[in-house]
Amino acid sequence: MTRRLMKRKTLDRIGLLFVALVMVSPVVLFFIWMISLSLKYEIENGAYPPILIPENFAWTNYVQVFKENNFFLYFWNSVLVTGAATLLALIIGVPAGYGIARLKAERAAIVIMIARMTPGLSFLIPLFLLFQWMNLLGTLWPQIIIHLVVTVPIVVWIMIGYFETTPMELEEAASIDGATPWQVFRLVALPIAKPGIVVAFILALIFSWNNFVFGIVLASRTTRTLPVAVYNMLSFEQVSWGPLAAAALIVTLPVLVLTLFAQKQIVAGLTAGAVKGG
Amino acid sequence: MAPVTLHNIQKHFGAVSVIQDLSVDIADGEFVVLVGPSGCGKSTLLRMVAGLEEVSGGQIRIGAREVSDLPARDRDIAMVFQNYALYPHMTVEENMGFALKLKKANPADTAQRVKKAAEILGLEKLLDRYPRQLSGGQRQRVAMGRAIVRNPQVFLFDEPLSNLDAKLRVVMRGEIKAMHQRIGTTTIYVTHDQIEAMTMADKIVVLHDGNIEQVGAPLDLYDRPANLFVAGFIGSPSMNFLEGKVEEGVFRTDKGLILPLPANATPEEFAGRPLVYGIRPEHIRVGDQGIQGRAAIVEGTGSEIFAKLDCGSEQISCLFRERIDIRFGDTVGISIDPKQVHLFDKASGRRL
Repeated sequence: MTRRLMKRKTLDRIGLLFVALVMVSPVVLFFIWMISLSLKYEIENGAYPPILIPENFAWTNYVQVFKENNFFLYFWNSVLVTGAATLLALIIGVPAGYGIARLKAERAAIVIMIARMTPGLSFLIPLFLLFQWMNLLGTLWPQIIIHLVVTVPIVVWIMIGYFETTPMELEEAASIDGATPWQVFRLVALPIAKPGIVVAFILALIFSWNNFVFGIVLASRTTRTLPVAVYNMLSFEQVSWGPLAAAALIVTLPVLVLTLFAQKQIVAGLTAGAVKGG
Repeated sequence: MAPVTLHNIQKHFGAVSVIQDLSVDIADGEFVVLVGPSGCGKSTLLRMVAGLEEVSGGQIRIGAREVSDLPARDRDIAMVFQNYALYPHMTVEENMGFALKLKKANPADTAQRVKKAAEILGLEKLLDRYPRQLSGGQRQRVAMGRAIVRNPQVFLFDEPLSNLDAKLRVVMRGEIKAMHQRIGTTTIYVTHDQIEAMTMADKIVVLHDGNIEQVGAPLDLYDRPANLFVAGFIGSPSMNFLEGKVEEGVFRTDKGLILPLPANATPEEFAGRPLVYGIRPEHIRVGDQGIQGRAAIVEGTGSEIFAKLDCGSEQISCLFRERIDIRFGDTVGISIDPKQVHLFDKASGRRL
């Protein structure tokens, strides 16, 4: 009986592992293939049958990325655009989410959602003209402003969900303790919502960092962000896969590191102990 | 400290009327318990005093101030919530000192007051802990500490013990009462547990469907319940109710059981009216009065024996304090103390 049970358990575990492997395999394979590409010379990249692990690693691909392009400028552009768009989104979106959650203003939330669902191109063209008229086109401002279309709804929606789950009694207790509505928000609701803010921050950051469409329309030669810069490495004469993969990996890296780093923050619930059973 | 006056309070949620027209006077330093079944409006009433719920009509006064339209933060009250509502991101010390910090009180003074409250409640060693690191009873004490530190005019308690286990509940009940006796702040306490109400209150307000059924000292309510609702609600196990009429100097239930009349009753006064006969289980003894019953349920706890007896077609609950040997199916003779019998008018439910 026990032996059969154990056998059953082992089988279950193997099955689970297999399912998990199948589910993550596309992502993992892409990634492995990209790493492989970035470490191979051009001849090996076109070889058939394909080579996964090359004999000599082509580290020069990475050197080339930094040498041939104005990579640091694009990196800095990306940091500025994503950083500003994310921070602004937090400043606007966290209080907005709180207000919508407390006032149960679902309609406002839906309006924000619609802004997010509208295809980017439908408002890109008029905004392009607007930015041109305002003489902003050579600067990073158009991209920062338009990235808010991506980041603000994410922050607002995550924060609505988070504030709705935090117990109302805490805020009532604070108001009885003598806090004004603003103090209730700043001293009680906000600190408790920290895990939610971290999640909103990371997701907004990832979406903004990876955004391509806005950059390709609005960026000039000196205001390109990284995804656009990688795209511009494709030239008409040839596609050099090695440096391209290397560049793509470098673009992905900050987001990847951030996600790994912040995982703990996301999981750690701060509300534990606030109410019974916490 | 201050008296609290509720005057013609009304509360509607849309078209639903939760509290109709309710007035209570609470004296300075009094411990008042609002008790009633769920949905009777007791929590809503407390939240209106706290300023967490708007008043649809009427006035609330704390001391000489009319506070009905003041926000919670300006009412100078403290409240202990059912789930404690401790700020999870603050230590015990910060939780207790939060109100004073908001008032921009001198930090040294705040620390002093927090320390004193912690001493009263035995929390000195827990001041650096976070709420999640505390047990249920400790969280409860911190919530009380947060209230004490404020030195408010009124304490409000919203079912503060219902999340604790039975044993701890009894301990904390004693502690809350002791705290009140020590500090003497006017207290309004909401519970659905009539034993909490009986043991803690100076004055009990029994609520039912948004109306006051009776206001009085605990023993008054027990000895002289105003109506069937209060009679059934106060006391555990509940009072026996038997419907019938007064005939030929005795009470005859609709199902034919004959019971003795109350000591002071004159039979002529009630003759022919449909009545309800009320007797508490603990006022029934083993004896030979002509009433015999067959034991349908027998539960002994050691200190007492609870039994349900089938007397003819009526069922009567009894609580015997003496050790008697009865088992399921045994026939027991009982006697009813006529001094403890209540008669109620069946139509109005009022005690006669």
